[in-house]
Amino acid sequence: MRALVAAVIGVAAAFALVLTVTAIGPPSGRTSPKPLLTTVPAHP
Amino acid sequence: MCRRASLILLAFAVFFAVLAPLLRWYAFPRLAKVPAGRYQTVVLEAKDATLIDYSTLEPRKVSRITMTETLKGNVERAREVKDETGRDVVVWDTLTFVAGPDGAMVSKIPERYVFDAHSQQPVHAGGEHVDGTPVQRDGIEFKWPFLVRKRDYQYFDMQTRTSAPIHYRGTRRFHGLDVYYFEQTVPWTRVPVPQALPLGLTPESIRQLGLERWYTTKRMFWVDPTTGAPVNGEEVHQEEMRWTGHPEKKPITAFAGHVKMRPDYVDSTVALVTSQRRLVLLMTSWLPWGFLGLGGALFALALVLEARSRRARAQTADMSHDGGKTGLPPPAGVGR
Repeated sequence: MRALVAAVIGVAAAFALVLTVTAIGPPSGRTSPKPLLTTVPAHP
Repeated sequence: MCRRASLILLAFAVFFAVLAPLLRWYAFPRLAKVPAGRYQTVVLEAKDATLIDYSTLEPRKVSRITMTETLKGNVERAREVKDETGRDVVVWDTLTFVAGPDGAMVSKIPERYVFDAHSQQPVHAGGEHVDGTPVQRDGIEFKWPFLVRKRDYQYFDMQTRTSAPIHYRGTRRFHGLDVYYFEQTVPWTRVPVPQALPLGLTPESIRQLGLERWYTTKRMFWVDPTTGAPVNGEEVHQEEMRWTGHPEKKPITAFAGHVKMRPDYVDSTVALVTSQRRLVLLMTSWLPWGFLGLGGALFALALVLEARSRRARAQTADMSHDGGKTGLPPPAGVGR
């Protein structure tokens, strides 16, 4: 019975971690202030 | 003590064993996406190319034509589209600026490309265009989906404004990476004249001269299969100005050249893709397999501790059953 409880805790923790991380997601960032280029850049 | 430790280890073993598939098949498809605010430039060159001189309407050889492509993620518009459609999208405003050997403009074509941030499939949310003409893409452009497969893809051609298959032609080694090579040939097709041309020319003035623009290209991409990002691109590109209604008149070559990525941009693209590739591999392979192995090891350790704990308990039980006999011979003189 104790082993079953331990396994359930493990499963619940894994789901909680993954659901939280995916719910937060990566940041979307912001639009770059740099322009669309009309000159040839010298380097990347 | 052993029993408690084995239960804790069992919980961790299950945690890691469950985390492995969840990370690969639940978290990765939701977390892996093209950043909405990406800004990137690529410079391509065609050396010893042929270019039309619009003042004489004659083709001439030039030492170099340069194409500067800028991609700029429009985060505000991406948020608006997400609010409207509920989909996580990327909106790329791009500009392809073609310059002659003196740096003067040959043409410039703006585009707006809206696509799903996870699958890279086009999203029709309004505002998509090529050179101001509304378009509806049904193929990818610029980037392949994550975890590219060895198959043909529909690829959007900005000149013809249509999509056609781009064929997988095998795996190649490129700058230390195993990449998939794709090839597409666009046959001679009549295409719109760019809105911005040298000498103040317009599509209307070209039409009044009795000319129309035709184009063919062989497009080649070397694509990193993990990230779906091309690490190299080339085009054998030809354009002609043909006389409308006069097939007997000789067409004017407007552009002919082999366009290749400038080597410094190849190096920077390979470096960028290599770093991004590690992140994708971390989520699709390294962490899931690592967690699975760790889960297995912890489970084995939990079993060992549990077995020890049971052995210790059995011994304790045996001692209580035989009245505390130790199994040692009795001291001399005792029980005689």
